[in-house]
Amino acid sequence: MKKLILYIISTLTVVVVFAANYKSKKAGYFPIDEPEVSTKQNAFNTMMDVVSHQRCVNCHPSDNVPKQGDESKPHHFGIARGENNLGFQATNCNTCHQPENNVYSGVPGAPHWSLAPASMAWQGLTRSEIAQAMLDRTKNGNRSHEELIHHLTEDDLVLWVFQPGTDQEGIPREKPPVSEEDYKAAVKEWFASGAIIPEN
Amino acid sequence: MKIFFHINNTPKSIEIDDGNTPLLWVVRDMLDLKGTKFGCGKAACGACTLHVDGEAVRSCSYAVKFAEGKEVTTIEGLGSEQNPHPVQQAWIEEIVPQCGYCQPGFMMATAALLEKVPNPTDEDIDKNIINVCRCATYYRMRKAIHRAAEIANVTNPAKTENDV
Amino acid sequence: MMSKEKKKVSRRKFLIRGGLGTIGVLAVGTYLFRNPIRRGIAGAIDTAETPYMGNTSSPIVWFEVTSKNTIVLHSPKVEMGQGTFTGLAQMAADELEVSMEQMKVIHADTASGNMDGFATGGSTSISSLWVPLRELAATMREMIKNKASEKMNISPEQLSIANGIVSGGGKTMTYAEVVKDVSEWDIPDTPNLKELKDYKFVGKPIPRVDLKDKVFGAPIFGMDAALPNMLYGSVVRSSAIGATYVDADISIASGMPGVIKVVKEPDFVGVVANSLIEAENAKNAIEVEWKVERTWQTSDIEEMIAVGKGEPFVIQKEGDSEDILNQENSNILKHDYKSPIGAHAQLEPNGALAHVEDNRATIMLSTQVVKITRDEIAERLGLDEDNVNIVPTFLGGGFGRRLHTPNAVQAAVMSKAVGKPVKCFFTRKEEFQNDTFRPPTHHVLKAKLLENGMIEAMEHNVSSGDVAFGSPMVPGIAAPILGADLGAWRGGMIQYGAIPNFKTISWRVTLPFATSWWRSLGLLANTFAIESFMDELAIVAKKNPAEFRLAHIQDDDRGFRLKEVIKAAVEKSGYTDEVINGRAMGFAASTDANTPCAQVVEVSIENKEIKVHKVTCAMDPGISVNPDQVRAQCEGAIIMGMSAAMFEKMDVEDGQLTPTIYGPYQMALMKNAPKEIEVVLLQNDDKPGAVGEPPLGPIGAAVANAVFRLTGQRLREMPLKLTT
Repeated sequence: MKKLILYIISTLTVVVVFAANYKSKKAGYFPIDEPEVSTKQNAFNTMMDVVSHQRCVNCHPSDNVPKQGDESKPHHFGIARGENNLGFQATNCNTCHQPENNVYSGVPGAPHWSLAPASMAWQGLTRSEIAQAMLDRTKNGNRSHEELIHHLTEDDLVLWVFQPGTDQEGIPREKPPVSEEDYKAAVKEWFASGAIIPEN
Repeated sequence: MKIFFHINNTPKSIEIDDGNTPLLWVVRDMLDLKGTKFGCGKAACGACTLHVDGEAVRSCSYAVKFAEGKEVTTIEGLGSEQNPHPVQQAWIEEIVPQCGYCQPGFMMATAALLEKVPNPTDEDIDKNIINVCRCATYYRMRKAIHRAAEIANVTNPAKTENDV
Repeated sequence: MMSKEKKKVSRRKFLIRGGLGTIGVLAVGTYLFRNPIRRGIAGAIDTAETPYMGNTSSPIVWFEVTSKNTIVLHSPKVEMGQGTFTGLAQMAADELEVSMEQMKVIHADTASGNMDGFATGGSTSISSLWVPLRELAATMREMIKNKASEKMNISPEQLSIANGIVSGGGKTMTYAEVVKDVSEWDIPDTPNLKELKDYKFVGKPIPRVDLKDKVFGAPIFGMDAALPNMLYGSVVRSSAIGATYVDADISIASGMPGVIKVVKEPDFVGVVANSLIEAENAKNAIEVEWKVERTWQTSDIEEMIAVGKGEPFVIQKEGDSEDILNQENSNILKHDYKSPIGAHAQLEPNGALAHVEDNRATIMLSTQVVKITRDEIAERLGLDEDNVNIVPTFLGGGFGRRLHTPNAVQAAVMSKAVGKPVKCFFTRKEEFQNDTFRPPTHHVLKAKLLENGMIEAMEHNVSSGDVAFGSPMVPGIAAPILGADLGAWRGGMIQYGAIPNFKTISWRVTLPFATSWWRSLGLLANTFAIESFMDELAIVAKKNPAEFRLAHIQDDDRGFRLKEVIKAAVEKSGYTDEVINGRAMGFAASTDANTPCAQVVEVSIENKEIKVHKVTCAMDPGISVNPDQVRAQCEGAIIMGMSAAMFEKMDVEDGQLTPTIYGPYQMALMKNAPKEIEVVLLQNDDKPGAVGEPPLGPIGAAVANAVFRLTGQRLREMPLKLTT
C-alpha cells in the first residue's frame, strides 16, 4: 500500500509555512551589531535598514512604476506615476488604497498613499546615494534637515512601513529589521551628528 | 457603530458592528443594491467599482467607516432606463455586455473617467480602464467609451469647454 | 430546405398554469428525442451536431402568454453571455408572429419540466433548438389562431396575425384575449416553418434582450439571489492539490460572532452565519485536517504530460504516415509545442442559494447543467428529483466552469442543517485553486515535404490532461466506448484531408487536479500547435501560408467551407508575408464543431512586448440567427484566446495551484485588446452552427506566426513570450 503522508493544515499553519518560505527566499537585512562601527555609522545604517527596505523603495521607483510585494514586482494592471504621483486621472492610488490597510482585501493603505516624486527615485541606488538624494534640496521638495526629520519620523505614510499589515493571502508583509523606536532614534541621532553620509 | 452617508442621493444611516466591513457588502446585502458586483474581493478586478464623492473606488477594499458623510453612487444611481447616463446610453447603442457581470464596474469606472477627462484618448482609456472582463468585451467597450464622451458632450457642452 | 422538415411535435396533453401576470400557460408538446445518451456523446464529437436533449416524459412549459400580451419563453438553455436568449427570442417571435418587444425570455426552472438533459455548452444552444423551438412556436401560433377562429366565429383562413393580434372580418383579438379562460386546446399537426427570407428577426442584428438588465444593474445573477431570512454559508477548501478532508476542529469557529452553525459532514466542513463576513471569519478559524498524498510541483506535471507518457489512442488515420516519417530524411520536420494550465477566471464566483425545507429544495444558481445539479442534490439529500427545483440565474460567465456544481450540493446540505435559506459561494482564491482547469498539453508534430513543397505525410501526437473524462456530463460507460478523450482532442485532428498520409494520436493523462471543459476545450491548444507547424512547413516549402493550406484541403463540402473562409480572411485583410512599417501579419485557420474559421492578425513589438493591432476573422457558422451577436462572440473569443495564448498560466508550486488572483494571473486587459477587429461572416450551410467557441481556435497560432515573420523568433509555447 502506498505510504501516505499526513498533513495537518490549518489556516494558522499555512500562514506559518508561507511566512517561513518568504524568509528563506530573501537575501534579508542583517541587524547591525559590529562593535567596531562608529556610533554615527551605526545610526546611519539603522536608518537605512528602514529607508532602503523594499517597503519604502517600492514607492520610490526609478521607472515611474510602483512596485509591490516583498519581491518588488511591477504593480499589476499597468499602474504608473501619472501626473501627480497619484496614478492616472480616474484610476489612481485611492481607487484601491485607503487611509488604512484593508483587513479584508489585504490592500495596503495609509494616509495620502502615493508615489514619492520622481526626484526621489531610489530604486537601484546604494544607501549612500539614497541619503544624498534625501538631503538634496533640489530633489527632496526643498526640505530642511528639520523638515526631513519630521517627514521621516512623523509622516503616517512613511511610518506605515512598521504597520504594513497582511497581504491578499493574509500573510504578514515583511517589516524592516528595525523597530519603529530604534529607527526614529537613529534618524534623529544621524541628523544631530551632522547627517554625514559614509563612503560607499 | 453608526455610519451616515448618502447612497444614490438618498441619506442613509446604518448600524454595523464592524466598521471595517467592505462598503461592497453594505451596499449589496444591507442596502440591497445588487448592481455592484463581487469579483475578487482584493481590488484586482474592478467589478465592485462605485463612486465615493464622485471618485471611482473599488468597494471590496473600502471600509464602510470611510464613507461617513460622503456621497456614494452605484450603478443603480448612475442613470435609469428613463434617464440613462451617457455611459449607459453608449453601452446600449454599442451592445457591449455579454454575460454582463463585470459591466457595472466598467461603466462606473468609465463615468468617473469622463468626469475627469471628457474626451479621453485611447491611451487615457488604456491607462484608466483596467477592470477585468472575461467575456473580453473590450473592443466594444472602447467604442462605447468614445461614444459616451460624444453623448456627454452633446448633453452638456459647457462642461467640455470648462474642463478641457 | 424548410419544407423538408418533418412534423415532430406530437399531439399531447397541454398544461394550463395560472401565475403572476399570466393568464394562460401553453405547454406545447414535448419534443421527442431519440436515444439521448448516445447521440449526446456523439454530438459533442467534432463534426456532428448536438441535438436538443429535453424532457421526453411529461408536458412542459415553453411559452406563457401574459395579460399584457407578451410572450414569456422559458429557455432550457442558460444565458451566460453568448446571446442565446436573444437568438431564441428572434426564432420564436418570427414563428409566433409577435414583435421583439413582446418577447421575454427567462430561464426555465426544472419544476417547469422544460429541462435540458445535456448542458448549455459546446456551442450548441441555437443550433440544437433551431428546429424544435420554431416548430413549437409555429404550433402555438396555430393553436391560438384556431382558438381565435372559434371565439371570433371566423374561419382560420380568413384570419391574419401580426404583432400578437389576430384580425379578420373587421374584428381583432390579442393573443391574451384569445387564451383567456381557455381550458382545452387542440394541438394541430406541426405547421410548415417559414422560409428564411420571410423572417423579420432571424438573420437580423437585433439588440440583446438582456441589454437593459445588464446596463442598469438588475439583480439577475446567481450571486444576486436572495430569499427572506437568508443566511450565509462558507465551506472550508484546501489549498493543497489532492487534499481530502479528514476532520476539523470547530471549537473556536462555533462560538464566533454571528455564527449559526458549523456544519460537519463526512466530506466537508462549512459554517453558516448571519452575514457573509461573519461566515468568512469563522471559516478561517476552523482547523481542518487534510490528507495530502504528495506535494506536487510544475515539473511533475510537465513530466506527466509529455507525449509518450499517457495512454495513446489513434483518433485519425489515413494512408501510412508511420513508414514515411520513420525514415531518415532531411525533408522531415519535427517540432514540439506546449500549452499551460489555464483557469476559467470567470468574474462571478461559483455559488448557490439553497433553501431546503421538509422534503423540498429550491436552489438558485448559475449553472450550465441544470439537470445534473438537480440530480446530485436530490441524491445527496435523499429527495425525490421532482421535489428539487433548480432555478437557473443569468451566469456571470460560464466558459465551462459551471458544468460542475458540487458547490450547490454543499449549499443545500448547509441549508438543510439550519432549516433556512443559505447562500454560499467561493472566494476568488478558492476559485483559482478549485477550478476545473484547461489541461496543459504537449504536442509533437512531424511531417515530410515532397520536392514540390507538398506534404507527403503528417502526424500529430497530442498529450493532454482529461477534459471529458471525469465529468459528470460524460457517463462512466462512455469511457470504454470513446477511448480517447473527446474534449482533449477537439481541434486536434488534421483538417488537411488532401495530405495522402496522416495520423493523429491522443495521449490521455489524468492529472492530480481537476481538468475539464474550458471554452473550446482542446481547440485553442491543438490549433496553436497544428497551425504553427503548418506555418513552419509553409516557410520551409517557400509557399504563401494561406495558399499552402488551400493546396492541402480536400474537395468536399467541409473542405469547400474551410477554403472559403481562408480566402475571405486573406482577401479582407490583404494578407502579406512582408513586414510593413514594423508590423507583420500572421495567418491560421481551424474547423471546430463544423464551423470553419480563419484569422489574420497584425502585430508589432512595442516595449519588448507583442502588440496585436488588428484581427480579421472570417467564419462560416451557417445561418447567423443574430449576426451582431455572432460578431460579438468572435470579438470576445479572439481577445479571450489572445489572453490565454499570450498571458495566462497557472503553476504548481509546493503542492498548490498558483496564482490565486487576477493580476498575478495575467489576462488581457483593455490595453491589450486589438483596436480593430473585422469579422466576415459566410453562410455556406443552411442551418445555424457553432458560434461561441470556433473563433477561439486560430488566434494563438496566428499571433505566433506573425511574431515569427516580424522577429524570426518561433514561439512554440503558450503563453507566447519573446526571448529578448
